[in-house]
Amino acid sequence: MQRAGMMTAGTAALAAMVAGVITLAPAAAQTKKEAPLVTTGDAAARPWKRYSGWPTRDESKWSTLAKVASPPPPKPEDVKKITGPITGDAKKGEELVADRNRGGSCLACHVMGPAGGANLPGNVGPDLSEIGAAGREDEWLYNYIYDARVYNAETVMPPWGSHGVFTDAEIRDMVAFLKTLKSPAKFKTVLDDPNKRPAPVEKRENLDPMENPGMWAVDKAQELFKQASAKGSCASCHSDPAKEFKTWAASMPKWEPRLGKVLGVEEFVTRHAAATTGAQWLMETDDNRTMSVYLHFLANGAPIAVDTQSADAKAAIARGKELAERKIGELNFACTDCHGKAANHWIRGQWLGEPKGQYDHFPTWRTSLQAIWDIRQRFQWCQVNIRADELSPDAKEYGDLELYLAAQNDGLKLSVPGIRH
Amino acid sequence: MQQISRRAALALGAAGATLSVIGWGRDAQATPDAAKAEIAKFTGGKAATEGKISIELPEIAENGNTVPLAISVDAPMTADDHVTDVLVVAEGNPNPGVATFHFTPLSGKADASTRIRLATTQNIVVTAKTSKGAFYTASKLVKVTIGGCGG
Amino acid sequence: MADTPKIRVPKTAKKGEIIEIKTLMPHIMESGQRKDKDGKIIPRKIINKFVAEFEGKPVFSATLEPAIAANPYLQFNAKVEASGTFKFSWTDDDGTVTTAESKIEVA
Repeated sequence: MQRAGMMTAGTAALAAMVAGVITLAPAAAQTKKEAPLVTTGDAAARPWKRYSGWPTRDESKWSTLAKVASPPPPKPEDVKKITGPITGDAKKGEELVADRNRGGSCLACHVMGPAGGANLPGNVGPDLSEIGAAGREDEWLYNYIYDARVYNAETVMPPWGSHGVFTDAEIRDMVAFLKTLKSPAKFKTVLDDPNKRPAPVEKRENLDPMENPGMWAVDKAQELFKQASAKGSCASCHSDPAKEFKTWAASMPKWEPRLGKVLGVEEFVTRHAAATTGAQWLMETDDNRTMSVYLHFLANGAPIAVDTQSADAKAAIARGKELAERKIGELNFACTDCHGKAANHWIRGQWLGEPKGQYDHFPTWRTSLQAIWDIRQRFQWCQVNIRADELSPDAKEYGDLELYLAAQNDGLKLSVPGIRH
Repeated sequence: MQQISRRAALALGAAGATLSVIGWGRDAQATPDAAKAEIAKFTGGKAATEGKISIELPEIAENGNTVPLAISVDAPMTADDHVTDVLVVAEGNPNPGVATFHFTPLSGKADASTRIRLATTQNIVVTAKTSKGAFYTASKLVKVTIGGCGG
Repeated sequence: MADTPKIRVPKTAKKGEIIEIKTLMPHIMESGQRKDKDGKIIPRKIINKFVAEFEGKPVFSATLEPAIAANPYLQFNAKVEASGTFKFSWTDDDGTVTTAESKIEVA
């Protein structure tokens, strides 16, 4: 039995339903030690369909990890000329800066005096509580909101005007509000002040099944491991998984020459199972996640040690780094904006972590969602959240990004399933 | 060469992983008054004395879906003097009730821990009743954080 | 397997010792507050009662509301004077009662 909420039901039934269309073929051109893999076809659903419950906005006009599509940044000479003082509606402006439906709101990154009741604002950007007394020109304030890149090419601030999140009139209202800000914010509790709020510390016993429902996947996986598909089960070849996989997951992801991309544990499971037992464990299905948790679990305590030295790995890591630095989505964030430049700050009530420490606990149980997420789903959510279209979980770009992330987590010991909010 | 069938991909994709948020809808919220009414029902209108109860809750919860709560009432837990019932209410949830714990002298201690759902930043009020008919109360504020980019 | 309750009770104790007991029942604890995709309320389905007994005598019980998180977890204590069996039961809104037992040796 699978728990509703923890795992979606029906996967087994579906796998059974489609079993008839799978034709097993011997993996012919393999050298001795290579694990058999199906090297053709997709390892995830096509066309990729966004998870139900996720925002459904179409963000196809913005850059993604697979394409550059957003308009280029403005040049310094593109400053919008503002003649005369801005006379917007400051009250409307105060509402707009706290409106969470408009890209997370200004309070996500700035303390802004009384706006939003000063309820858990972030501190990625400067405290603007006294900006109205800072002697800034209206034109400067306007352009900083419209597209801050005209003044600062390195900014992480979304181009609210250029990307059409706020209209000219709305930006004027916000400028009018900013001009009223002349005294430090008053916080209701010390926790509301992002500069005094203590950074979260994860202390839960993630490997205790009383604490972490993600651990139940380990039990489930041991059944799955023995469950026969068209051509047998995992156990047909792997008689001693605890010994055989003691460190394997810590060496993943890895460049796979037969596919010309980086494979993580999850895609490996899909392609290897299809080639051996005939099980259809597509990525982001319950069975795939369950096996991924198990294979990582067996390597718990092993330090992450991915190949970073081969020419192929080096090239993949270089591509991964470039992708991590690419500005994507309507909000125009790169991975390295939030988890580099803004790391160790608060984005509203959430702490932005560094890349190191963001990989060793995946797949992880998410208490907010009551579900297990693997790293690819985490990548996808980051993108949807910054209003970029996500890629299919088996996208080669995610392979490069995952290897780049794993390399930054080198030496950290696996502890899977993790437990996170 | 073996294929991962397109039909398999389509079928699984359609039924694939869903985002399953367990918890509250975002509609109605209880009020401190509704919580007070719940407590009054428990005490039969008798006044509860502040103290004797300790409440362990995080000051700040990263989400309200599973917030650890531990309560402990200072009591001898003997046959003739023990805590019998402890009511936990949340002032800002859709309904104020959270749980009622029932103890006996065999409990040894009037301690209990669980994990609770909190719809928003709010006070948790704990009221204890003793075998002698006395009531004690304590409360604690939990701040439930707001996500970053709207998430 | 995931649906069976998890219990942690010490195997042995000294006479008169106050021991710690942890229990966890895999359950969605559907609050009755959520709506499905079509905007219809998903009916409430929770574990509404938990009872712990030792040799038939009540040790601890709890009345649970929808504000208890999924997979209800309860930790409490028991004073044990003699060897015996703890019996735990969880009652679902639909009337289903799940039970579990655990023995303890008192030296």
